[in-house]
Amino acid sequence: MTSESGAKAIVDPDHLPIWDDPAQAMYRQVTIDLDKCDGCKLCVVVCPANLLELFGPKDNLKVRLKGDVTGCMSCNNCFAVCAGQGVFATEPYDFVGFYAQKRIGAFAQPRKF
Amino acid sequence: MTDTLDLEDLEALENLECEVEPEETKADRTARRRTAIHDIEPGADWNDVEHAMLTRRSIRRFKGRQVPEFMIRRILEMARFAPSQGNCQPWSFIVIRDKAMIAEMEQSCVAVCKGMTASVDYTHYPQGSAERAAILENTQKLNRASPNSFHPVPMTAIKSIANGRFAVFHKAPTVILILKDTRGVGVPEVDIGVVGTNIVLAAQSLGLGTCWIGFARLLNSNPPFLERLGVAPPFELAEAICVGYPIGNPTQQTVARQTHQIIWWEDGEQQILH
Repeated sequence: MTSESGAKAIVDPDHLPIWDDPAQAMYRQVTIDLDKCDGCKLCVVVCPANLLELFGPKDNLKVRLKGDVTGCMSCNNCFAVCAGQGVFATEPYDFVGFYAQKRIGAFAQPRKF
Repeated sequence: MTDTLDLEDLEALENLECEVEPEETKADRTARRRTAIHDIEPGADWNDVEHAMLTRRSIRRFKGRQVPEFMIRRILEMARFAPSQGNCQPWSFIVIRDKAMIAEMEQSCVAVCKGMTASVDYTHYPQGSAERAAILENTQKLNRASPNSFHPVPMTAIKSIANGRFAVFHKAPTVILILKDTRGVGVPEVDIGVVGTNIVLAAQSLGLGTCWIGFARLLNSNPPFLERLGVAPPFELAEAICVGYPIGNPTQQTVARQTHQIIWWEDGEQQILH
């Protein structure tokens, strides 16, 4: 099955997602709070998908997403290294069809039972 | 007693202290440990093992400094005590701390990724083109045959490796290759995962960073190199873990992750938890 149609995919759990179609391969944008960003560049350095970059004047650098966010694994390494807790992914990646995420709930920090 | 102490008084005091704090007997010690383990209240703070699990990140940027040899030995000592099916311990390790060799491993994997990208990456061609349609069909056939290897997530990484944006071994100073004894009991791949978890958590507890490198299996397409490394039947290269000192402070805070469904059966009733 080589259909590229996302509409068809919704009714076909066997559909293989088209990698470069954002409606079928849903990599989440990370949320960035610029007030908390001090431009230290650590998140840019640790991002495994190389999705972040610094911008702005040298004395006031801030982080932003590069144009294409394909490949964000929602690993939150950016959040783990951020002293200001200013950058984070809030949802897992997901796919339409065969690779759809199943039996999961919302993101949560470690819970104490 | 006068306000000046003589030798006799000091001796008396020492004896007195001995009476107040008697040396812990073996039975006392056992009892204390049992209490420490079982006396956990709901909501208690994370213990050291839990803390290591929660602060572990997959580290892909390392400082240039080599990890001391004793630390790697210490980590591999923890690996030795991992559980395995039938206690068969179907593993063996190759530790590589040789920069030239790691560079060679890197090149070998990059070559495979370049080949893979050329033959499966339909996204390289514009929508509606004949090339794209042909490669897409081929890729999806491979995908059906091997849904794990052709998962969309590693495909993105393979492209990044091929175009040099992403290093397979992350320029780590030490790489541990985990070899699998193919004659292991049951499912030896599971034991490889378990032994690697011991490695990763032990390293975390020592302040080191690690990353699992499944792409190391790409080296299986380079038999002469594997032979040089020391991989030979009945052993196969199963996984790799790179080790080094992380850049920044990745244990600064724990991260949020999705919850997973837990089907909980108790007293004849089923509950769905997350």
